[in-house]
Amino acid sequence: MTAASGNPAYAIELVDVTKHYGKTPVLSGVNLAIEPGEFIALLGPSGCGKSTLLKLIAGLEELTDGEIYVGGRLANYLRPSARDVAMVFQNYALYPHMTVRENLGFPLKMSGVSRDEVRGKVEAAATLLQLNAQLESYPDELSGGQRQRVALGRAIVREPLAFLMDEPLSNLDALLRVEMRTELVRLHKRVGRTTIYVTHDQVEAMTMANRIVLMHRGVIQQVGSPGEVYSTPANTFVATFVGSPPMNLFKGRIESSAGGRMFRGPFDLPVEGLAPPAFADGPVALGIRPEHIHVLDPGDATGLAAVVDLVERVGPDSYLWALANDATSLTARVDAASAIREGDRICIRFPLQHLRLFDAAGTRVAKEA
Amino acid sequence: MGRTLERTARTISTETRRIAADHARARLRRRRRAELGRHLVLALVTFILVAPFYYVFLASLKNSTEIFSYPPKLLPIPPYFGNYRALLWDTGFLRWMFNTLFVAGSVTTLKVFLDSMAGYALAKIDMTGKRAIFLLMLILLMVPIGALIVPLWSLVSALGLTNTYLALILPPLANPLGAILMRQFILGLPRDLDNAARLDGLSEFAIYWRIVLPLIKPGLVVLAVIIFTDQFMSFIWPLIATSSDDLQVLTVGVAALRAHGGANYGLWSASAVMSLVPIGVFFFVLQRQFLARSLAGALKQ
Repeated sequence: MTAASGNPAYAIELVDVTKHYGKTPVLSGVNLAIEPGEFIALLGPSGCGKSTLLKLIAGLEELTDGEIYVGGRLANYLRPSARDVAMVFQNYALYPHMTVRENLGFPLKMSGVSRDEVRGKVEAAATLLQLNAQLESYPDELSGGQRQRVALGRAIVREPLAFLMDEPLSNLDALLRVEMRTELVRLHKRVGRTTIYVTHDQVEAMTMANRIVLMHRGVIQQVGSPGEVYSTPANTFVATFVGSPPMNLFKGRIESSAGGRMFRGPFDLPVEGLAPPAFADGPVALGIRPEHIHVLDPGDATGLAAVVDLVERVGPDSYLWALANDATSLTARVDAASAIREGDRICIRFPLQHLRLFDAAGTRVAKEA
Repeated sequence: MGRTLERTARTISTETRRIAADHARARLRRRRRAELGRHLVLALVTFILVAPFYYVFLASLKNSTEIFSYPPKLLPIPPYFGNYRALLWDTGFLRWMFNTLFVAGSVTTLKVFLDSMAGYALAKIDMTGKRAIFLLMLILLMVPIGALIVPLWSLVSALGLTNTYLALILPPLANPLGAILMRQFILGLPRDLDNAARLDGLSEFAIYWRIVLPLIKPGLVVLAVIIFTDQFMSFIWPLIATSSDDLQVLTVGVAALRAHGGANYGLWSASAVMSLVPIGVFFFVLQRQFLARSLAGALKQ
């Protein structure tokens, strides 16, 4: 194994990172370069390997193959504490027998920082996180949100190169989660450290991250800004995992004829220009987000006829679950003020610019070759 | 019309209140009766448990004629202290007591330390053969002491340790029960806690010493109680491993009292009462620890 030297411009660089548990592959050939100061969300369903990846970076698990660079240094053989990363655990992992002050100061104390300096840094972190009043309390005397902040504080005092966060908000109730989410973003802006944030919650990933790394079955599916991941998903997995309700996908075939390219599936649709000229005819999936489906007046005959099955009101807008051509279910978003009810006949249209084409393997087909 | 209605309403409300009060009184009566029943049962059980101890205590304060007088005197007035005097001055009781406390104390201290370390290794450290080691320990647990005595004696004698304190202290250390118990306790600690400690730069021993040990204190107390009482009462092994009078422990010494010097029930009773003192003190001290711990735990939830 030749150890290529890492690029010092990256905070963290993963090269062909592979992890097997016995014979079960958990991660296969993960490559990722993270710039200093980025907020990266590792997003994916449970069991996709995102937490394992985080533990590999922290040094809590051993690599099967590949290289991990932290700050340009090969970290494969470094002890966790020597990697200059701090981790925030899902269940906080505060030391129950130590006060908040001791918990915050412990990592510093262990690395031989002088007592006065520990005191200063602990108090600065406590001020930053509004924990001054709780410094002498024990973890079990704190609320969930306070514990979460102590866990963050313990990472902050070390002033590491990168923060690794493993679903840090998943143990909080919904209201507090939203509050802590914005607090974390603000904190990231102030502290400005590289952060890798593991979550299975797409809302967290979309709202917090500069870039989302979407993982499935130990393989990175897509790396991109929240906008990119949402509007141009790399494959059908990303298309259905991101977005709620997910992107509508219709299976069918692309067929070329004299009149141009046609999508033939549950309905027929001209899709000229959606695929590059070289794209061969064959099985495909056509995708469109619910909010991009135009719902027309029932009298309008220019679109596709559908029957509304269910109206789901979520506040600002409503989702129509409809059956097109009496067989194909789809979801469309309409304004909350819409008068459409269950059982209504509607007419829908798919604007070409919002259609996404996926090939037989599920990979998105770019418009230009 | 309105007034009649009002009056009716008032009557109804008074009536309701009266019925409610009746019900409350009935409930209280029922509860009192149930409580009385419970206390009677408790008193009976307490009597069954305490009576033999009291009988022995009584006998220790009687001279040999009083012990057999009928009907028995239920209060030792005036108390006779001759049995205690004989026990403390004419037998090796104090020496036996010292030996027992020294051996049980050493074994408890060493074993709590060793078992918690072994338990940590079994619970937290990835190593090859861990399952096999654990299985072996479980199997060892099923071997009765009787089957071990002869080989253990050959071992101790081959090492030239017969008639030394080491012969009494070393063999009990090998009992796997404590390590298994500690493993279970340590497995209950969240994995992320030692991961956090690892990221904080702690060595494996420091994780054990600074994080794990303080968190399994209740478990350590339980283990200490089990080991100490077990050692305090162990009889067969000390009997076989030592022949010198200087190394006799309480159990062996008290048994020897019975073998020599005839049927001195008063002396035997006194020795039984005196033997209970240290273990009683030990329990009393640790019981407060127990209580404090479990209460703290309950409040934390």
